[in-house]
Amino acid sequence: MSNIYLPEIVKVTKIEEQSPTVKLFRLVPTQGSEFKKNEKGLVFIPGQFVMVGQIGYGESPFGPLSSPYEADYIEVAVRKAGVVTNYLHSIKEGDKITLRGPFGNGFPLDFIEGKDVVSAIGGCGIPPIAALVEYIIKNKEKFGRVYVLYGARNPEEILMKKKIEEWRKEGIKIILTIDKPADGWDGHVGFVTDLVKEIEINESNAVATMCGPGPMMDALEKVFRPLGIPDRRIFVSMERKMQCGVGKCQHCTTGKSYVCMDGPVFYYDQVDKNFD
Amino acid sequence: MLVIKEDNLEKFLDKLKEKFEFIDIRKDSSDGGLPFKKYFFPPVQEIFSTSGSPTSKKSKSDFVLYGLDLPDLEALTQLDEIMEKPHEDYFYFQRRGQSIIIGLIRENMDIVPGGDIVLEHLNSNKYKVWQNTTKGKNLIKKNNSYFSAEGGEITEEKPPQIPKNESLGYWQKTMRSMLLDPELLAEVVEWSYGHEIWDKLMKQCLGCGICTYVCPLCYCFSIEDKVGLDDKCTRCRKWTACTLPEFARIAGGHSFRPTLKERYYNWFYHKFVRAYKEFGKSQCVGCGRCQAFCPAKIDIQEILKTILEDYKKKDE
Repeated sequence: MSNIYLPEIVKVTKIEEQSPTVKLFRLVPTQGSEFKKNEKGLVFIPGQFVMVGQIGYGESPFGPLSSPYEADYIEVAVRKAGVVTNYLHSIKEGDKITLRGPFGNGFPLDFIEGKDVVSAIGGCGIPPIAALVEYIIKNKEKFGRVYVLYGARNPEEILMKKKIEEWRKEGIKIILTIDKPADGWDGHVGFVTDLVKEIEINESNAVATMCGPGPMMDALEKVFRPLGIPDRRIFVSMERKMQCGVGKCQHCTTGKSYVCMDGPVFYYDQVDKNFD
Repeated sequence: MLVIKEDNLEKFLDKLKEKFEFIDIRKDSSDGGLPFKKYFFPPVQEIFSTSGSPTSKKSKSDFVLYGLDLPDLEALTQLDEIMEKPHEDYFYFQRRGQSIIIGLIRENMDIVPGGDIVLEHLNSNKYKVWQNTTKGKNLIKKNNSYFSAEGGEITEEKPPQIPKNESLGYWQKTMRSMLLDPELLAEVVEWSYGHEIWDKLMKQCLGCGICTYVCPLCYCFSIEDKVGLDDKCTRCRKWTACTLPEFARIAGGHSFRPTLKERYYNWFYHKFVRAYKEFGKSQCVGCGRCQAFCPAKIDIQEILKTILEDYKKKDE
């Protein structure tokens, strides 16, 4: 029996500004040179989350966005919002912070395999999808067509721009859109309804994944439904106040489920009728 | 059947007091009626600090918890199950391993729900002794002079009945009979989402969280960090209440359950719906503490009765 709340100490080796409010942190283990891999050979399953924090400040949940095959480091994106994230925005490369996890289920990789994949991302919801895309690229021959629809408020708030270009070169079809027209932006503007026309999938053998704030549910109505993807094949990454990460503290419950244990990835049918 | 007489029981307990820290929970009112859970799951538990993890040292010696009644014994057994799954809770079981539980019940039972030793009141000076665990058996073996074996049924005196007119006794009895059908309660509470009673309760409830602190089966907690003046940082696990506004509030101020109505309903939902799905039981043992301590006089039994009646009416 061990103390399940005890975090490990990790070193921050890279900090990269992603947007005015978001920074990316690269975390490297201090005990041993690599993070532990699971039985699939992954450091985490895309869609799982980790608790990152500092003693004296607390911990917050983040979805790792680096490739799950990468054992030398884990990367997370942190938006400045509260106590922990403000602290993280104040640290420098070389500082040590705490890490606990990974927790939760992650995307059902075996189920997704062999299918077309359409992912919808809203705002800061890119990390779990980014890790999934990295996984798909590594196992390209096992997947069909892969689309990523990514909507942000304005061009500055589009995260991981460099990575997005790399993914494009790997054959991932990426459709970016922003809320309002902006200078120097020649991509899509407004909500994604029209973009459905650009997507060609075999709807009887396609899955959808999504992560983003509440309004993203529109993506479901406007994209996945018209594409003909049924609820059982739409996987949403939910966010709640995960604290213990191990299904005890009760903060992250939604209906009968624990986001930290049963989720954070749910198929839409599981959660759409929950009271909260 | 193993029995112990009243005078021998006193001697047995004195013996235990010599050897162990002894807590009679019936007389333990040091912190305003918090239930036994505080001995295993304290209101504030240090998880670790910058001056070392508390996991390496045993904090206290073995102790005896004496006098748990039937609802409390049930609650303890349920709490053990909750803390064991899906991950064993280190701190809870560290304290649990140091405890000797002696129950004291009035009810005539075919089987008792927990405790190392349970004493069933047979008559004014005699108790039937249940030995439930190896720990309990060994303790009795070592002190066997106080116990005696008796054959057959004891019929000389009727076991004392639970007084019907005593309010808590009656409350417990009726509540516990409702709890016999946790499946129905799960169905009813889930059905009641949107019922007008939750609007009424939102106005009545003060959102103070007392009901959850006194509940032997409420175990929500928050993880909080403290920084001392000596620069020592401590991470603690602290009791919290799902009725408090910060319970589902995250950085930036968004709350997943912004109103008291949602939070209060969630309390019920956890106890009767989510718990039933997870463990096949309601997380309520009908002890009556929540209604006894509620400053707004909310009676959960009345709430359940109301929605149960309306639920039955819906198909008529």
